[in-house]
Parts: sequence; C-alpha cells; structure tokens
Amino acid sequence: MNQNTDLLTLRSVSKSYGTVPVLHDIDLSIRDGEFLTVLGPSGSGKTTVLRLIGGLEPLTSGEIRLDGQDISRMPINRRPFNTVFQDYALFPHLTVSGNVGYGLSVRHIQRKEIARRVAEALELVQLGRFADRFPAQLSGGQRQRVALARALICQPRLILLDEPLAALDLELRRQMQVFLKSIQREIKTTFLFVTHDQEEAIGMADRICVMEAGHIRQLGTPHDLYYRPNCEFVARFFGENNLVAGKLGAVQGELRSIETALGRLVCSISSQPHLKAAAEGASAFAAFRPEALHLADAKDTDNHFSGTISDLAFAGSSTVATITAGADNAAQRLRLRVPSRVDGSALKSGEAVSLSFAPHEGHLVLA
Amino acid sequence: MSEAGSTQPAERRLSLLVTVLAFALPVVFVLVPLAIFLGYSFFSVDQGTIVYDLSLGNYVRFFTDPVFLPVFWNTIVLCVSVAIICILLAYPAAYFLTTLKGRWRYALLMLLLVPLLMSYVIKIYAIRSILGLNGFLNKALVALGILQEPSTLFVFNMNAILLTLTLLLIPFAILPIFLSLERIPQVLLRASDDLGASGSQTFLRITLPLSLPGVASAASFVFVLAIGDFLTPQMVGGISGFTFGRILYSQFGTAYNWPFGAALSVALAVVVIAAILVGERFGRNRGTSV
Repeated sequence: MNQNTDLLTLRSVSKSYGTVPVLHDIDLSIRDGEFLTVLGPSGSGKTTVLRLIGGLEPLTSGEIRLDGQDISRMPINRRPFNTVFQDYALFPHLTVSGNVGYGLSVRHIQRKEIARRVAEALELVQLGRFADRFPAQLSGGQRQRVALARALICQPRLILLDEPLAALDLELRRQMQVFLKSIQREIKTTFLFVTHDQEEAIGMADRICVMEAGHIRQLGTPHDLYYRPNCEFVARFFGENNLVAGKLGAVQGELRSIETALGRLVCSISSQPHLKAAAEGASAFAAFRPEALHLADAKDTDNHFSGTISDLAFAGSSTVATITAGADNAAQRLRLRVPSRVDGSALKSGEAVSLSFAPHEGHLVLA
Repeated sequence: MSEAGSTQPAERRLSLLVTVLAFALPVVFVLVPLAIFLGYSFFSVDQGTIVYDLSLGNYVRFFTDPVFLPVFWNTIVLCVSVAIICILLAYPAAYFLTTLKGRWRYALLMLLLVPLLMSYVIKIYAIRSILGLNGFLNKALVALGILQEPSTLFVFNMNAILLTLTLLLIPFAILPIFLSLERIPQVLLRASDDLGASGSQTFLRITLPLSLPGVASAASFVFVLAIGDFLTPQMVGGISGFTFGRILYSQFGTAYNWPFGAALSVALAVVVIAAILVGERFGRNRGTSV
C-alpha cells in the first residue's frame, strides 16, 4: 500500500437532482490506504459524493477513475467497494454470520471457505460469540460492527462509511472511533468516512475534505485545516476560532500585518503563498484560536489590545472567557481559553484585561 | 390538586367501561355464538324438532357416512388450489405495483381493489356469463383456434368454482403482499447490490424472504374466504360442483337439521382456525421478533 498513489480520482464531478444542483465540479483524489474523511454540514453534498462513488446514484457529469480506469458507468454490484450504511441496513431475516457472509455467498464461494472467512471477520470485529444471533437481538454498537464486518469481508479496494456513528451515544461513539481507526490500520484498506462531526473527523482522519454547498472548500491533514484554513468557512467551521475583519497590510518575511478594529495585528503566512501574493488593502480576517490568546505581559511586543471580560464559562479542564474588545462602534467578541484552576481562575467577569497572541499563532484568511 | 382528584375517578370509570366493552363485544358477538353452535352440534333432530339430549351422533355420522368426508377433503383441496393460484397471480401484480413511482402506484392499487366495492352476486353473474357456453372465454378460444367448438369445461363444475373464486378473491391476495413488499426498506436492496448481488439474487435472497409474511397472510385470507363460501358453488358449480359449504347450507335450509349443520360447521371451523394459525406462524417475520 503506497500512500502516495491515487486509488480513486473524481474529475469535475457534478450531480443534480432534477434541476437542483447538489455538487459543482468536484475534483478529489483518494490515496491508496488512507483514511479520508469528508466533513461538512448537512446539505453540503458529502453523502452524495459517497453515493456517487459507491454507484448508488449516477453522475450528472464528470468521471470517476479507479486505478486510472473510468468506472463512472460500472454497475453498483461490480464495483470493488463496499458501504457501511448510516442505519446499518442489516438483513433482518439473516443471522449475523448470514449477513457477514452475504457478499461471499452471492459470489458462489464454497461454503467452507465462507465459514472460515466469516469466523475471521467476526473475530476481527470481536463478535465471534454472536454469530447465530439475529440483528434484532443486537445492540446498536454490535450492529455497527456487523455492518463493518459485512463490508470488509469482500476485501474491497475502498470502504465507504456513511455517518456510521451518528446513531450511537457519545461514549460508544468514542470507542467506535478508536476501534474503526485500529481496524483500518490492521486491514490496510482505504476508508472514505462521511461525517458532520468535526471532532470525529480530527480524531480519525489522515486527511479531511471539507465540503460546503456542493463545493470542496479545503482538503488537507487535520493539522493543516486547524492551523491553516484557506477560507472563512473552514476557519469558522473547524473548531472554535476568533475572526477579526480587516485590510491586508505589508508583508514582512513570513509575517503579514492586517489593519483591524483592534489595531494593527501581525499574523503568520508561512507556506501560504496566496496570502503573500494578495494585494495590499484586500479584505481579510485575522484568525487566532481561543487557546492562543493570553493575558498580555511585558514580553509581548505585537498584537496588543485591551478588552472587558463579559462572561466566564467553566468547561471542565478549561475555562472560556468571552471578551468584548475594541472601540464601542466596532466592538469584537473574542473567546479566550485558559486552563481551569481548582481555586478559581484569575479572571473575573467585568474586569478590564490586556490581551495578546504570538504572531506565529495567528493566521490570515482572505474574505 | 383538587381538580385532578375530582377528575380521576371519572376517568377511571371511563377506562373501566372501555375495558369491559373491549372484552364484552367479542365475547357476546363471537365467542357466545360459537359456543351455542358447539352446544347445538351435540343435539339431534326428530321429525323437525330439536331433541336436547347430548350425543356424539352428529360427529359419528360425519366421519362414517361415505358422502361427507370426501366432499370435505375435495373442498379443502379446491380452496388450497384457489389460494395457490391467487398467490401466483397476485405476487407479480403486487411486485409490479411496488416498482411504480408515487401517484401511479396507489392509483393502480385502487383500481385493483375497486372490485371489492361491487356486489358479490353481480360479480358472480358477470363471471358466469364470461365462462358460459356462449361466453367471452369460449368465443375467444374458438376465435383463436385453440378450441374447435365452445366447451362446457368452464361452467357448472369444479373448474368453474375454482376460476370464479380465484377471480373474486385475488384482491385479498394482492393487498397483503403489496403491503409486505412495500414495507421492505429500499436500503436493504441497495445493500445487497452493494455487496455484489445481481438483480435476481437480491430478489431471491432478500425481497422474497422478507415478503413471505405477506404471502402467508394472503394465502390464509383467500383460503378462509374460499372455504366459507357457499354462494359461488351454488351459482356456478352446477350439479358436479358440490362443496362442503353447499352441504352446510342445505343442512340449515332444505334439510332443516340444525344440530348436524352445527357439527359440520365445527369441522369447518377447526380447519379455518388451523389455516389462520398456520398463516400467523409463517407470517411472523423470522429473526425480527426476539
């Protein structure tokens, strides 16, 4: 499995239902062996991407290539992909082993061979004891694992997962995330995982593809997306962020200034050439994470501003302060996250504070 | 609190009344009549008056007289045949309906169910005239060259009863099969495709097994309705088309032997209850009930 070779390529793929377009000219490459998560709010077209790849629906235009071969018109039952459906879609009249072995038995594989591989797959998903149960006798998490075993037993080139954890409660969802990731490492199969939960995406994915309104907004590692979002949507959608609007100023090496309601801020533009190239005076946002913001001290020379704490919220390991900063006519609401202390945070509601963030912790996003 | 306290007894009385009614209605209108029938079957008749002495004479007569058991058996075979033919014709029709989209599906379903709104007797007359010597069926077969001259094969015999009952009861088979097919989640069929099954494999391994409950209830519906029917055999059966329903009817009518008729009804009821139980047993979705 070479992570650098492309397994599947979507080339200017569009999809419309009647006259309603849901995907606009999508280009996407899925690498062999990676865990790619497609992340987006509902209605972003993320599930449509999965359905087009799986062959559950025809493309309106464009093409899908597998190992360089066009498979856009290949019927669903001949594509070497298997899907884990959102509500599992287990066959209610078949036992767990009947369900898991289904993909093999329709290919007329010998009974003995099927039994061996079913036992193997059930062992992998830790359901060996449940082989003779019916789906109605299983819990949600167990059904989920049956659906996964059923998909991976056919040794597909790609496993498509359509929000498979959405129906599980939080604790089980966390366990399943770890479990899915470990299975993916073990069987070294490419996973395409669709979700609207960014925490889920960060925790599992090698790469994340963020979608909105039928477009791909950004494709990159979780780290890239978190620290170098390329647009306002990704900056806002992906984790908590402070965005302050302004006009771009001068480039100073790997840094660039921006004139905002909070004064002149300096942010990093390293490895983002489009920000270096953007014209001075162009509209942009300074973006910095709540955990990057801190109470200013003498060492801080850049990115100084003052504000008032308008609200304090204890959130377990950390405390989040909402701060109103800048002149009254252009007040900005910012969030500051500091580690919680047992004797109460040093912060007090209504207190005036002086704040700062390090230039390399801030970044710029074109408006 | 005081308000709730005053409404509670009234509510409780109402719910008690509803409960009593729910049990009383079936008891009074179903169980009691059945019990009276069962009781009558142990009496006998002497010169037109009922003798209220308990005896098993009616049942002995039913099992020993050479007339009744063969007719009973032939009627069961006839009704099983009707049920099978109805299923074979109704299944493709119901399946075709589920492949239609939206409005067409229900429009066509309504069309198939419209015959249920028509008078039973009129339908039998209509079918009899189609099957008759100068009827549409014979004319069509002669015109097509399949028959040399009109045949009497289709009317006033067992064939006629079979054909007529099948035509009359098909809507009762289509509906449960359609409903069970429609209840199958589409995503299961997509999952089967996704796992590499061909169209016929998906039908045989997923659609068919999941629709069997509908088939079972359709079959028991049709069987029960057919075996209880005496009007159809009376009107299209002629002399050779003698069914158990006709014998039963004649015991209450012409022969005026209610106790013996009651005993025959009990025999029929046993078969009907057995058919319903079998239908219910197979009708349960395997695996989905814990």
